[in-house]
Amino acid sequence: MAVCIPLPSCRFRHRPVRSSLERQELFGRIAPVYDNLNDLLSLGQHRIWKRMTVSWTGVKMGECALDLCCGSGDLAFLLSEKVGSNGKVTGLDFSKEQLSIASCRQGLAPNACYNNIEWVEGDALELPFSDGYFDAITMGYGLRNVVDKERAMQEMFRVLKPGSRVSVLDFNKSTQPFTNLIQEWMIDNVVVPVATGYGLAKEYEYLKSSIKEFLTGKELERLALQVGFSNARHYEISGGLMGNLVATR
Amino acid sequence: MVRASLMLLKDAGRGFCNSLSQMLVCPLSKQPLRYSEETNSLISDAIGVSFPIKDGIPCLVPMDGKIIEADDMPKTDDAADLSSKNNQ
Repeated sequence: MAVCIPLPSCRFRHRPVRSSLERQELFGRIAPVYDNLNDLLSLGQHRIWKRMTVSWTGVKMGECALDLCCGSGDLAFLLSEKVGSNGKVTGLDFSKEQLSIASCRQGLAPNACYNNIEWVEGDALELPFSDGYFDAITMGYGLRNVVDKERAMQEMFRVLKPGSRVSVLDFNKSTQPFTNLIQEWMIDNVVVPVATGYGLAKEYEYLKSSIKEFLTGKELERLALQVGFSNARHYEISGGLMGNLVATR
Repeated sequence: MVRASLMLLKDAGRGFCNSLSQMLVCPLSKQPLRYSEETNSLISDAIGVSFPIKDGIPCLVPMDGKIIEADDMPKTDDAADLSSKNNQ
C-alpha cells in the first residue's frame, strides 16, 4: 500500500493545469527524444544556458552537488566535470524513463569522472536527503513543472548547506509584452510543429500554459526570500526568453 | 532511439551502490534508510515503509513506498527492539 501525505498550502501554488502524475507520464513519453528536441528547438543554445546555470552555483572540486528534475542528465554531467572524481553529484527525477536514459548516457561516456554521479528516482517536493547536505543545487526546466513551487523551494533550502547556492534555469515569464509575444510565436510556430513531427504535439503545447502559470523573475526572487534564502537574483538570458534564479542560503 | 533501447537492456543488471544509501533518507520522515540486500530495497524503520531499488536506482517517490507488514519485518535485533518499544 502506498503512503500519501497531503501537500502544505501555498499562496504561490496556482491551480495546476495537470496533476503531478500526468506531468510524470508526459516526461516519460518525451524521454526518448528529449535531448534531440532540446538541441533542435534551441539550436543548441540550451548547452550554453546550462553551462551558465552551473557556473552560477559556484560549485568547486570535491564538493557535493544535486541536480533536481535532472531528466536525461545534462546538468548533472556538467556538475560532474566541475566537482571531479573526489566530488559527488546526485541526479534526481520522478521519471523512470528519463533516469534510464541518463544512466545509459553515463555508461556510454568515455570520461571516467562521470562515475561520480548517482541517480535517484524521487519527488522534488519530498526530497530524500538530509538537512544541509549539498554544496550546490541546480534545476533545469523543472521548477515550472512542479505543482507546488514554494514547497520545492523549501526543500531546496532544507538540503542546502548554509552559504551555498541554488541555480534554477527555466523559461522566463516576462513582464514585457513584446517578449511574451515572441515567446508565444516561437512555441506556436516552431516548437509545436517540430514536436508534431515526433508525434508529441500535445506534450509541447503544454509549454505555453505552463509558462503562463509560472512566476515572473521578481516573483521568483520574492519566493526565494520568503522561504529563507538570504539573497535571490533572477537573471534574464537569451533576450529575456529564458531566466535563471540564483539564490544563496 | 534504438541505440538508447539497446543500452537500457545492457544496463539492466547494474547493481545498487551501497554507499548511496548512506546519504539517502526517507522522503517522508527524513530519517535514515537501511539497505536490505535480501529484498534489494531501502527500509525506513521510522515509518515501516520499504522503497524498491530498480536497475540500481533507488525509487524514493513517496508513492513508491510499500508499508511493511509485521510478518515481513526482518528478524534482526534492531527490528526486535523497535517491535518491543511499540508494544510498551
